[in-house]
Amino acid sequence: MIVNALNGLVYGSLLFVLASGLVLVYGLRRVVNFAHGAFYMLGAYIGYSVAVHAGFIPGIIAAAAALIAVGVALDLVVFRKLADRDPLVTVLVTFGVLLILEDFVRTVWGTGNYAIDPPALLSGVVQIAGAPFPIYRLFIVLASALMAGGMVIWLRYSRSGLWVRAASHSPAVAAMCGVRTNVLGPLVVGLGAAFAGVAGIVAAPFLSLNPSMGAEILVLSFVVSVIGGLGSFGGAFISAMILGQVQAFGIVYLPEMAALLPFLLMALVLVARPQGILGKKV
Amino acid sequence: MANPSMTHSFRDSPVLRPSGLIVLALVAALVAIMTMTGSRITLSLFAQAAIISIMALSVGFLARTADLISFGHAAPFGLGAYGTALIFRHGIPAELGILLVLLAVFALFFVMGLVVGKLNGIAFSMLTLALGQFFFVAVSKLRAITSGADGMNVSVPSSLFGLPGRTFQTPDGMLVIASVVLAALVIAIYLFEATRTGRLAMGVRENEERVLFLGYRTKLLKAAVLATSATIAGVSGVLFALYQGFVSPEIMHWSFSGNALIMAILGGSLAVWGPVAGALVFFFLREWLSDLTEHWHSVLGAILIAVTVAWPGGVTALAKVVRARLTGRKQGEAGK
Repeated sequence: MIVNALNGLVYGSLLFVLASGLVLVYGLRRVVNFAHGAFYMLGAYIGYSVAVHAGFIPGIIAAAAALIAVGVALDLVVFRKLADRDPLVTVLVTFGVLLILEDFVRTVWGTGNYAIDPPALLSGVVQIAGAPFPIYRLFIVLASALMAGGMVIWLRYSRSGLWVRAASHSPAVAAMCGVRTNVLGPLVVGLGAAFAGVAGIVAAPFLSLNPSMGAEILVLSFVVSVIGGLGSFGGAFISAMILGQVQAFGIVYLPEMAALLPFLLMALVLVARPQGILGKKV
Repeated sequence: MANPSMTHSFRDSPVLRPSGLIVLALVAALVAIMTMTGSRITLSLFAQAAIISIMALSVGFLARTADLISFGHAAPFGLGAYGTALIFRHGIPAELGILLVLLAVFALFFVMGLVVGKLNGIAFSMLTLALGQFFFVAVSKLRAITSGADGMNVSVPSSLFGLPGRTFQTPDGMLVIASVVLAALVIAIYLFEATRTGRLAMGVRENEERVLFLGYRTKLLKAAVLATSATIAGVSGVLFALYQGFVSPEIMHWSFSGNALIMAILGGSLAVWGPVAGALVFFFLREWLSDLTEHWHSVLGAILIAVTVAWPGGVTALAKVVRARLTGRKQGEAGK
């Protein structure tokens, strides 16, 4: 029972890190990044390749660095140019980016499955309520909490965080007060992409690497965003935690139906609250 | 149809103008010539392209009429295809069964439209992606009904809609059938846009609040547009199942929804026929590129980016420019 709940927490915290990357970019650029899942996958593969040769920590750093570069480039080349166009146009462009990145991963790493062991320091198990539980899964929760917590502190207590919040709340008013959205853009999109990439490599020893991992997690992080309410960190947190538990208990008690449960949950929430748990009324 | 003003507006519809009829006649002649002279492989390609065009038409119709971008239209397509396979397997009278399947798709998406009617723009797109994936997972998991990943054979009955069942499985037969269905749907959409309801739908797209202020109820209308679009995708799925004789979960994967959307974007939404042109371009581009390079996904992605960024009107915008040149009119007038 407790182990199930912990597994749900592990999965939920991964989903939250991914969803918060989406929310961050959506807030500033009003764009839902369909390539977010591909970023996650790219981070996992790059991190894997570096980790095999140089160790796990360099793998995480490499994934973060590569994805920051991709995110900054995406903002400079695409989002900034398309800032005054219909957001749906930009969404379609991110879909094109997704196609290119998936092809890139298939070309470089092939279509096989990869598995990676957690670093030696984190590879044991601990006894929790009389059952063994891998330490690495606890590390995933810790790493997710650090990333999410770091972002919240940055947004709340730093000057640039204040600018991001202002520009997300009302781009026009923020711009009149001297906030330069175009300067914040590469920072925010790079950070969002890095979140996805680091989530990818951190998740790699827990899940496994394959070319469809990006699409699966993208769909789930969309479910999280829709349930929580688009553009709401709090909502994303609540729904990621609920979804993690639903997945963990679903696999145990309803193995055939587990993959369908997130969507049923989404349907239920949307019938009751079309704008999501903490979304603004539409 | 009793309203005289409506018959007047029907006559305005571009499809009934001489130019529209000429295009129709040309397409019909082209299809006829192809069935007589084309090789089996060419015919099969065109038959598949015609079926996929119907799918692209459904996505384009939703984008054009309601300004909603669906990332999940593989769901109604797959429901149509799987529905066909299931009614044949269970010996339900084929014609009635196919109608019931399409009716079920309409009803399902109508209810869905009522539920999600408030979502617009990106939220709607995200939702359709998730819902589409729901059906993909459901079809893969419900092995007792759908045979899961193994797929299902479609045993087409010996006679269907007054035609021999074989006709639906031969390239030339299906090319003619799919082209006729496609043309009928394009004409139907043109006529729909000239009706009062069609114009109201356009009004909702432009500014729903104002239409509400005028005293119309928009909720049912939006749901009906979504359901109609889904049903068109369902028709495409039915034809696909009949022609291929086999259905598997891949047809419901979101990458297929994405491809249908790319076709609609390539074609542009300035004209009803845009998605059809986009589907043809996409289909043959893919054939050509996949022969040329195994990285055709990347090339396709790059083309999608280029078209959406640099050339948002797609093929239809190009056609308008060309027509404006030919007729010597200014570009602005040519769109009328």
